[in-house]
Amino acid sequence: MTQPAIFFEEVNERQGAFHRRSILMGAFAGVGMAALGARLAYLQLFETQRYEKLATSNQFNFKLMPAPRGIIVDRNGAILAANRPNFRLMVARDKGMDPEATLHTLAEYVPLDETRQRRLLKDINSAPKRAPVQVMEDMSWEQFSAINVRAPELPGVTADMGEVRVYPHGGAFAHVIGYVAKVNKEDVEKAGPHPDPIMLHPSFRIGKQGVEKAFDMDLRGKAGAKKVEVDANGREVREDAQGDIPATPGKVIELTLDADVQLRAEEVFGEESGAAVVMDVRNGDLLCLFSGPSFDANRFVRGLTGAEYRGLAQYDHKPLFNKALTATYPPGSTFKTMVALAALENGYDPKTVHVCSGHWYFGRMWKCDAVHGAQDLHHAVATSCDIYFYQTALWLGPDRIAETARKFGLGEIFDIGIPGQKKGLVPDTAYKKRRFPKDPKWHPGETPSMGIGQGYTNLNPLQLCVMTARIANGEKSLHPRLVRAIGGVEQKSGAAWGDLPVNKDNLHFVREAMAAVTTIGTAARVADLGLGNVKMAGKTGTAQAYSYGAGRGVHGTAGAWKLRDHAWFVAFAPYDDPRYAISVLVEHGGFGAAAAAPRAREIMRTVLLKDPDVMKRVVRPAPMPDLPPEMQNQPDAADGVVTAQAPTGKPA
Amino acid sequence: MTVSALTRPGERDRLIVKLSEIDWVFVLVLSLIAGAGALMLFSMAGSSWMPWAAAHLGRFALLLLVMIVLAVVDLRVWFAIAYPLYGFGLLLLVAVEAVGDVRLGAQRWLSIGPFSFQPSEVMKLGIVLALARLYHGVPAQRARLSWWLFVPATMIALPVLLVAHQPDLGTAMLIALTGAAIVVLAGLSWRLIAIFSVTAIAAVVPMITFVLHDYQRERIFTFLNPESDPSGSGYHILQSMIALGSGGLLGKGYGLGSQSQLNFLPEKQTDFAFAALAEEFGFLGCISILALYAAVIFMALRTAYLSHSHFGRLAASGATATFTLYVLINGAMVMGLAPVVGVPMPLLSYGGTVMVTVMAGFGLVQSVRVHRYAEVTSGKGSFV
Repeated sequence: MTQPAIFFEEVNERQGAFHRRSILMGAFAGVGMAALGARLAYLQLFETQRYEKLATSNQFNFKLMPAPRGIIVDRNGAILAANRPNFRLMVARDKGMDPEATLHTLAEYVPLDETRQRRLLKDINSAPKRAPVQVMEDMSWEQFSAINVRAPELPGVTADMGEVRVYPHGGAFAHVIGYVAKVNKEDVEKAGPHPDPIMLHPSFRIGKQGVEKAFDMDLRGKAGAKKVEVDANGREVREDAQGDIPATPGKVIELTLDADVQLRAEEVFGEESGAAVVMDVRNGDLLCLFSGPSFDANRFVRGLTGAEYRGLAQYDHKPLFNKALTATYPPGSTFKTMVALAALENGYDPKTVHVCSGHWYFGRMWKCDAVHGAQDLHHAVATSCDIYFYQTALWLGPDRIAETARKFGLGEIFDIGIPGQKKGLVPDTAYKKRRFPKDPKWHPGETPSMGIGQGYTNLNPLQLCVMTARIANGEKSLHPRLVRAIGGVEQKSGAAWGDLPVNKDNLHFVREAMAAVTTIGTAARVADLGLGNVKMAGKTGTAQAYSYGAGRGVHGTAGAWKLRDHAWFVAFAPYDDPRYAISVLVEHGGFGAAAAAPRAREIMRTVLLKDPDVMKRVVRPAPMPDLPPEMQNQPDAADGVVTAQAPTGKPA
Repeated sequence: MTVSALTRPGERDRLIVKLSEIDWVFVLVLSLIAGAGALMLFSMAGSSWMPWAAAHLGRFALLLLVMIVLAVVDLRVWFAIAYPLYGFGLLLLVAVEAVGDVRLGAQRWLSIGPFSFQPSEVMKLGIVLALARLYHGVPAQRARLSWWLFVPATMIALPVLLVAHQPDLGTAMLIALTGAAIVVLAGLSWRLIAIFSVTAIAAVVPMITFVLHDYQRERIFTFLNPESDPSGSGYHILQSMIALGSGGLLGKGYGLGSQSQLNFLPEKQTDFAFAALAEEFGFLGCISILALYAAVIFMALRTAYLSHSHFGRLAASGATATFTLYVLINGAMVMGLAPVVGVPMPLLSYGGTVMVTVMAGFGLVQSVRVHRYAEVTSGKGSFV
């Protein structure tokens, strides 16, 4: 038996110490457990609401859904811009997916060539994580459903149905309505420090031109939101349809344009370059605001290829340019209406006769188109005699011509809702002084060319239409109106402006002279509407694009297109009861009477044939002189219905 | 069988008697906790046995068998292997320094054939057995206050420093605290305890500044202010607290916890399993599980209390201390009371390593219970 190393008292001491300490350890563990329990009670019983809120905000996300964009209609409700369903395919970078392999798989279902795959791969890799990149648009239903079936095994791939803007008339309204396209960096910067988050949505499109741009906020509507349950990686797990916030669709924009008229304008212009503006002279409504040649706005929605864009941008007929507003041209002889009116306003005797011999000397030799002989003001307007107007202008001086011209809206920018109007210029002595500090004096030799709408004078087709409309209206300083209503709210009428501060008799004289233009003057025959006694009064214009003296300008349609004169025609109809005014410009079209007047006639005829009151005059029964007068006045048919009746009496 | 029958010499060495001496209530409580773990893992996998729940249950069943086998192992065998196991553990830790696998930026794993394991786990049991054996032959006075205390201090410091160097601060801390618990239970003087505590607290600031790795420092700072970076390193704590808090009194219902089902809860099947349980079963569920843990600790500690041998007392209480520390540290971490250290909730969390450690420890505890009247040594602590 070996000696025990530890004696009993020591064993007892050790055991006693252990027993005390182990109870202490138990107490320590108990306190620890109690602390955990207390903490649990605090978190789970008193802070529950706070953490429930946090858990809910973890669990649910609101996903923005763009609102259906407001549609744009013409005055009769015909759709000019609308939305159509679009099956899209999108890929987003995500954990556990290989974008390259995914695109490769998708190529089995939709046409994606190598180049496109490479470009998309770059886009996907540079996009933020889980931000979807559009891979394919306008898929067929078969492609859409095939991919939807595979989607669960292809992480990051979504196929959904969105809306895409569609312009059913393609080109005819492209300049007025503009188009929508993807939001770019500049758009976001322009939106201020807190851009609408919907702008970052991949399927959102922003108005880039025309009405789409100017009324973008009205058309956008209010984005809705889709409530979705997401996991920690942001992947959608479930949708909660009851939690959705519905979108408010954009407002309907109703234009004053008439689709039939606008389409007719596109038709008569063909490939010619120019513009046509038609205005209702009673209220300023623009029935037509066309610029040709045009482009298909639908191509811009989808995104142009570089080649397509270069083709449009480099074509010398400038299809991307709105020539009705943005381009200014010398008005040529159409300006003689203003010179004649200015003369009358300043006490000029319209019976004053000047003799046109084809030449006139004032500092240098000035020419006329023809030898008109002795003429008074009325006949000089009708024959558009330059030599008469050289002298009339000289008698007036530039400032008095400019004063009258400005009363008719020339050199003015009108608020028609869309941007891009160019002011043009009606020159006067103050302008000369301001613009040419080295040669500030207005030389008398500069006045004659102003008298025939050349020289510094530069105007756009809208201004000339407003001028014609004001001449025809005679009462009001009419303003053009393009947008009739936004979301059903009527916009200010073009007639709700001040009176025209011009003598009514003088205006009547000018209207008479314009009527003579189409009956005995420069536009006789070519401006005949062929609608019986519904006649058009107008004024031709042939404006030099380049000076003939320098040997560059070309008169008529011979020679290079770029060097030919611009052809103008302004008119109103019916002559005896003015309802519509028109201005037509054919860029480098040659003679106004040959290139512009027939086009104006065709467009005007379309306008008049849509007016039931005018139609009643055009299509009416032959008078029956044998019947008593009170019976003749009875309406023979319901309003606007054309009934052909066999003549029963003697021919009229 | 009557109590008097057990007093018969040799009676207690019979296998059937040994088995009957195992605390079967204890086994039941452990099974309840592991069952709750499997229930949670089933829910978190989207109501699926794969990949966690089935493996968890299978592993627990196997380790329960191992525990029972260890429980009938004679305490003298435990006594005999104490030093060799400790030495073997130290060797493995040195080996891991030299040839260990680097996983998640730390050198913790050792691969032998198809198996890979963390040697630091061996040390958790090794330090308990070695210290228990060391104190077994030491008089109270020496254990209380003497220069001899450098021996246990060195025995603790060696593995702690090696594990901390991997770096695995959580395990190092666990080994250090387990060792300290045994030293205190063996009767360390209160004065020394006070001095060590003050020194340790004073050393915290320079430790954080100079010794810790950046990620460890970051964990501590985000623990102090979790909302400073909710999507970054404070994410874990914040999401765990959201899971707990949103559970409320009764929980969101089985399989309906949004935090765990939608993966907002990080490491939901391992470190944050308790938070997942809290979300789906609420305060009542949590308190029930904590009560089960408290019962385990109480029963294990009672086993230590009733042991007649000093080795048995210290070994059983040391293993209990490890388990208690696991529960308290994980609980505090999940509830936002401690920084995120990779310490799982034993038996509830998925993961084999910790379960092996814990169940082996309980095998030791049950062995102490089964052999509570046995003499471990006669004389100077030599094997009988």
